[in-house]
Amino acid sequence: MKQTEMLAMILAGGRGSRLKALTSKIAKPAVSFGGRYRIIDFPLSNCANSGLDVVGVLTQYEPVLLSSYVSQGRYWGLDSRDSGVYAIAPREKADAELDVYKGTADAITQNIDFIDTYNPEYLLVLSGDHIYKMNYAKMLDYHKERKSDATIAVIGVPMKEASRFGIMNADENDKIYEFQEKPKQPKSNLASMGIYIFNWKTLRKTLIADEKNEKSSHDFGKDIIPALMDAGRNVYAYRFKGYWKDVGTIDSLWEANMDLLDHANELNLSDYTWRIYSEDPTDLPQYIGPDAEIDAAYITQGCVVDGKVVNSVLFTNAHVAPGAVVKDTVLMPGVEVAEGAKVTRALVADGVKIGKGAKVGSASSAEILLVDQDVKGVE
Amino acid sequence: MPRALGIITPSANNMKVHGMDRFRPISAFSFLGRYRIVDFPVSNMSNSDIEHIQVYVSQNPRSLAEHLGTGRTYNINSKRGKLQLLFNQDSKSNEIYNTDIRAYADNMDQIELAHEQYVIITPGYMIFKEDYNQLLKDHIASGADVTILYHKVDNADKSFRNCRTVLLNRQKGLKTLGWNDGSNPETNIFMDTYVMERELFIKLIRKAQKISSVFRLVDIINEENDDLDIRGIAHKGYFNAVTDFKSYFDANLELLDFNKAQDLFTNDWPIYTVTTDSCPVRYVKGSKVKNSVVANGCIIEGSIENSIIGRGVEIRKGASVKNCVILGHATIGEGVKLEGQVVDKWAKILNVKKIIAPLDNPGYVTRGDTL
Repeated sequence: MKQTEMLAMILAGGRGSRLKALTSKIAKPAVSFGGRYRIIDFPLSNCANSGLDVVGVLTQYEPVLLSSYVSQGRYWGLDSRDSGVYAIAPREKADAELDVYKGTADAITQNIDFIDTYNPEYLLVLSGDHIYKMNYAKMLDYHKERKSDATIAVIGVPMKEASRFGIMNADENDKIYEFQEKPKQPKSNLASMGIYIFNWKTLRKTLIADEKNEKSSHDFGKDIIPALMDAGRNVYAYRFKGYWKDVGTIDSLWEANMDLLDHANELNLSDYTWRIYSEDPTDLPQYIGPDAEIDAAYITQGCVVDGKVVNSVLFTNAHVAPGAVVKDTVLMPGVEVAEGAKVTRALVADGVKIGKGAKVGSASSAEILLVDQDVKGVE
Repeated sequence: MPRALGIITPSANNMKVHGMDRFRPISAFSFLGRYRIVDFPVSNMSNSDIEHIQVYVSQNPRSLAEHLGTGRTYNINSKRGKLQLLFNQDSKSNEIYNTDIRAYADNMDQIELAHEQYVIITPGYMIFKEDYNQLLKDHIASGADVTILYHKVDNADKSFRNCRTVLLNRQKGLKTLGWNDGSNPETNIFMDTYVMERELFIKLIRKAQKISSVFRLVDIINEENDDLDIRGIAHKGYFNAVTDFKSYFDANLELLDFNKAQDLFTNDWPIYTVTTDSCPVRYVKGSKVKNSVVANGCIIEGSIENSIIGRGVEIRKGASVKNCVILGHATIGEGVKLEGQVVDKWAKILNVKKIIAPLDNPGYVTRGDTL
């Protein structure tokens, strides 16, 4: 087997419980996004576009759909010789009981054997929860230039929100001297994006030592990065500019979808030089009916619109019947809005049917309404 | 169940599509925003468990070769299955020699090497859904030597002008394959589709070559009708053919009718095509869209009515597009008014502000041109 310079491992085991019913049956990285994508299409497409060949996807919570999805490496062009996407779930081992991953670092530690097969120089660790476009090859160049042992991608966040993030404090050369997890009094606004490049040999040793430490929570941010700094290793921040969003709540997921309506949206999914790849559905192109009205919308293949759609995002196979009005709303795959129904400021989950004349959501509500059950029509 | 080799034929040399066929054969024409016409026959075969498919191409193969690739898109089994693109060596000489028989003869080794007992031959310029598995069963059950497929249309006076017709006797036996001269709206249009044993097919190719160097398969079928048991089966469901520029335009616009589209596209019979991973369509505030089919990747700021919009098309502010077929990656500039046009791929209409043609005589904007 050809040696892989940098192997990617995506941490995709989280439940994302703040997404409520959306993740009751599937893991968060498998949640649909942006009309035709799933969240994990973003890190996987970034890997493919950055020239990476092998991606391990570490699953844990509800992995059935996620595993079968990511194993289709051809969706992202990760299927040539010596290339592939491998879904890896926690496993029983000869010297240990079957156990779930104890932390983000433990998920890597338990799969050292998988990583060693490829004998990589560098390991890229990613989270499967974020929407962004990033060239990891450029980050690797930076990592090499700085002779770094660990490089963490960071993004400037508004200071008042900094206490919601893992904050990196760095010197004038962007060398990190301190990590604070959700600090009450943040010293900087450089939030960790959960994207790490490590020298694999160094990380490997650190992980093995950490595994034996009973006090450790086996987490990259809390344990591994501080351990590397304590050992005098070079840990650098890699500043990222551009669109990056954690879609951890119903409100933020709705908001990130709405961002796609904005002409100036930095994510720019229309850019042919950095496409986000996904499953290729066989549905018809979208049909916009003779009486349809569309005023600012993001609509994909398989949709049929006969009613009115205002400021909304329609996912694959969403149908809006005549006389229905969908406003400030996200309709996930296969949602059907029947004649005369009104949906306002809502996120409607996969396959939900909204009956004739039903009224769902309100323009004045502070929070976005999650509709995860069929809504009966009003006769 | 015996197996069949699938053969997809190029259009006859009397079928010309003004402008567009300079760049690709009819089978590679973009259709309904995201498909190519060849997607229909290849998907039909793939859905009918035909694992070995030969696509014949006699001109400008680049576009078709790129599109078909290894056939992976079409769900053809990667180990057991095979999609072959076969070229006609002699396509530059006098066009009358450019027949399907010539193409088969040039590739005779590939037909002889196949191990399927039957062949199913179907054209790359017609649009319909057909279960070839069932057709093969019906053919075998009937005991006929050759089964042909036809569609009874009610508009042969206006459409299908370059097509052949099927005249049958009362027992559905073939009387003759004629020409559609437009004299009768209700006509059985020949779908250029045949089922027969591969051995018979080879025999017919050889015999046709002996009789005339410009014979087509239809000619030898007519010629042999007295000696062979040839029967017709009527096709039901959506059917259309692209045999000239007008029929290409009409076939696209006809499928704006969602009910007709649902007859052709059903969940249990996917029509496969190559993905370009285009993002969804962004309709900017102030855009107006009615009765249109829009493929992914478009950015729509202007207005669209009764039109088919291909992938990655930009329709800028104040532009208005009516009764048009816009192919992929075209740009319709600010304030441009278009009516009754086929705008080919990559064309940009920026400086000419108005191009209007009636529905019955549509215009054509050449691939890659800037106007």
